[in-house]
Amino acid sequence: MVVISVKKVNVGVIGLGFIGKVHLRNCLRLQAVNVMAVADTSKKALNYAKTFGVKQVFTDYHELLKLDGLDAVIISLPTHLHADCAISAMELGRHVFLEKPLARNLREGQEIISAARRSGVKFMVGYPLRFAQDFGNLRSLMESGVLGDIQIAHAVNIASGPFMHRAEGTAPRPIPEWWLNKELTGGGALMDLGCHMINLLRWYLGDVSNIKARLGHRFNFEFEDHATCLLNFESGASAVVNVGWFSQSTALCVELFGTMTYAQANHSASNKVTTAIKLILGRTPKFFVPYLKELAHFVDYINGCNGENILSGENALSDLDVIAKAYKNQIK
Amino acid sequence: MEVLRLIDYSLPKVEEIVIKPNMCYYWDWSTGQTTDPLFVAALIDLLREEISSQVKISIVESDASAMKCKYAFKYLGYEKLAKEYDVNLVNLSEAEAEKAQVSANGEVFEFSVPKIIKDADLRVNAAKMKYMSFTKVSCALKNIYGCNPYSKKFQFHSKLDKVLAALNKVMPFNLHMLDGLTVCGSKPLKLGLIMASQDPVATDAAAATIMGINPKSLAYLKLAEKEGLGKSKFVPKGTDLRYFKSLYPRKSLSEKTLLFGYRVACALGLDKRLI
Repeated sequence: MVVISVKKVNVGVIGLGFIGKVHLRNCLRLQAVNVMAVADTSKKALNYAKTFGVKQVFTDYHELLKLDGLDAVIISLPTHLHADCAISAMELGRHVFLEKPLARNLREGQEIISAARRSGVKFMVGYPLRFAQDFGNLRSLMESGVLGDIQIAHAVNIASGPFMHRAEGTAPRPIPEWWLNKELTGGGALMDLGCHMINLLRWYLGDVSNIKARLGHRFNFEFEDHATCLLNFESGASAVVNVGWFSQSTALCVELFGTMTYAQANHSASNKVTTAIKLILGRTPKFFVPYLKELAHFVDYINGCNGENILSGENALSDLDVIAKAYKNQIK
Repeated sequence: MEVLRLIDYSLPKVEEIVIKPNMCYYWDWSTGQTTDPLFVAALIDLLREEISSQVKISIVESDASAMKCKYAFKYLGYEKLAKEYDVNLVNLSEAEAEKAQVSANGEVFEFSVPKIIKDADLRVNAAKMKYMSFTKVSCALKNIYGCNPYSKKFQFHSKLDKVLAALNKVMPFNLHMLDGLTVCGSKPLKLGLIMASQDPVATDAAAATIMGINPKSLAYLKLAEKEGLGKSKFVPKGTDLRYFKSLYPRKSLSEKTLLFGYRVACALGLDKRLI
């Protein structure tokens, strides 16, 4: 019998927006994680963390990074801060889990990866859909050969994006303004949602040989609020990706059409009431599960319990490269 | 024009007009929550045809707790409309204003009254009809809430009935045009309704009736009537109100129960555990 001793990983959570809070709650659920501290510029967010027993809170993440004994950080900051925060953490020898997208552009993405290589720390980029059961099952089905050779794929990710419309009876939530500034995000719906779908399709179909995109601007901003992309893969397969920030409800699915038959993974939206009740009771809502699994994967990767990091920086850089080409090859 | 003929309203020969559409957060017209820019565009055409092509028109709105005009104007299509129709787009939170005191139900309020509204010769309220947690109904009277330039409007929610009466007293609008082309009840519906009145209380009473709510049960409407803003008794003209009432997507019992449950959770402080 082989006994693997699992070290408790001391983690700092940086950025407590919506997804940052999901990561914080998940960290508290993992036995192999000790949340040492959190950082956010919002005092309200820091108070939120304190209610869950986090003792050390910072408004400046550079202070958090200096903590003695800190092993790793989970970064869920606005995209324009990814490079500075991730590189600073890596230079101090902290392992890094970084929310997608990797960075605003290829240059910043490459800088992050270079820093990870130089420092030798473990680095993972968050793509929770890779840990969602529906999409995992679809890949297993594809790998089994039941579908035949995949020729065509269709991926859809339509949601409200930054325009997270309030539910009736709740206080309206202001949109963090960085979302509406292309300089700070690097792009719109294609960058935010497209990277998920491109990452999934690359997982299924391999490398992308070329991409074209039609960008839409229903809401008159300089960034696209929806996009339709046409991708060709080295394998000879082709795919259509539709993403959008225009809807009040969520549609998230992938369809694969092979020479034998077709299959789809439809990731249904979580029921808001069930999610709310589970959160209040301290249970794990369905929406949190893929995030919990990816975090567990990161912790296992740090502890050497799993050999491979399935979501490396290089992998995320490839997604960014495809997206950069889509912005370049626009269909008018 | 037909709707104005029905209420025997002739547009006065004026020089400066203010139109206040409903811009609620970042819901576009298709949700039924906000005034359709095409409705406002048709209104502008009508005003220019009937009054003068030279009439100066301004579309006004103010920043709110979770909405900034600079984004809402763009997102909801009003920036495009303003360019195409050569009208002004005014963020009342940044406009020149004068302090004014006004009382409602014995309480005195002080508001900043935007000069552009005060000085306008004709003020047109382009409202929507929808359910609202605090007042049950949001229509003509509630739309004027957005003329208050103060952005942290949620602070007034605890005394909304009085605040609505006070704001409508200090900034009276001449014509209330309801955009019921697409409405939102339990879900959006293309209702195809346009309603007009010079009386905001009557407008709200008619809207409430269509929405299946007894106007007499609305505290804010009772107070508005008491404060002399209008009469809740109305004479419907045009298409039978019952037709629209039969179509209006009302809230189901389960939706009402969920909302009640959420309020109870908030009252118990449990919402702090949510994200």
